[in-house]
Amino acid sequence: MHATLHAPGPDRVRANTWPPINERVDRGIQLRLRQAAAWHTPDELSDQIAALDMEWDFERVVEAEASLAGLLGLVLGATVDRRFLAVPAIVAVMLLVHASQGWYPLLPIFRRLGVRTRHEIDRERFGVKAIRGDFTTVPPAGAAATERAAAAWKAVCA
Amino acid sequence: MKSMDVPTERAREAFAEDRVRGSSADRLNRLVDLETQRCLEELASADRDTISQHIGALDREWDVERYLQTNAAIASLAGVALGAAVNRRFLLLPGVVFGFFLQHAIQGWCPPLPLFRRMGIRTRREINREKYALKVLRGDFETIGPLAGREQPR
Repeated sequence: MHATLHAPGPDRVRANTWPPINERVDRGIQLRLRQAAAWHTPDELSDQIAALDMEWDFERVVEAEASLAGLLGLVLGATVDRRFLAVPAIVAVMLLVHASQGWYPLLPIFRRLGVRTRHEIDRERFGVKAIRGDFTTVPPAGAAATERAAAAWKAVCA
Repeated sequence: MKSMDVPTERAREAFAEDRVRGSSADRLNRLVDLETQRCLEELASADRDTISQHIGALDREWDVERYLQTNAAIASLAGVALGAAVNRRFLLLPGVVFGFFLQHAIQGWCPPLPLFRRMGIRTRREINREKYALKVLRGDFETIGPLAGREQPR
């Protein structure tokens, strides 16, 4: 396995994940694409895409968890002991670290639980679309640019 | 050009699960779509290197989640600091910020979203749509055979 296979560009969450966990995600994508290509009907492929669109991605999980933790800390800080105000402060700082670097204290846990980034989900999504044949309608290079652009746009939106 | 006008409607359906798009004005979503269509037309006849460079830029583009996280973190941090040092009532600010941020995570909308959307900030799904359309134009998917030969794993 080449390193490039497991480091698709600047996905900051992947860059901060223990490599074997990224590899597990990649193997899952490869396995599902192989199954999709071998057995699934076009309807089943569409269901697979719909399920991927519903999947909670890493950012959504972090945002839900951080706001709940922050709210809890605020309530405890206002009613029980002021020192609980450290919780929303830490949550805010960690969110800032996540937004700038990608790392997050709960990242190893979320990733181990199988939470994927939108980059990873879309890699599977567009792989399934390719298998469904969505991109065969796009004229090859050399055809009129306007036509190719229109066909590519339709294909990614389908 | 006529074929370029149709898919905006379809794009809205296909991206119904993009909660940020669902919480944005149709007009602003359409602007994002038009910008992607314009970019595809421009790059449809470009060489591989130009397309690859643009894909690299898309991967580095800040998406709306990143802006919202930064925004929420700074606002709530300021609120906690003021609430601890100046007056407890400032704690209302992080309370409101975290509350709306939770709403954003679950449902999609939050108060700064219209502003960010008006600035043209896109969701990762919108960015990836452009990215994969460019990969199609670059010919990345031409090696994949038709659905008929489904015995062979592709």
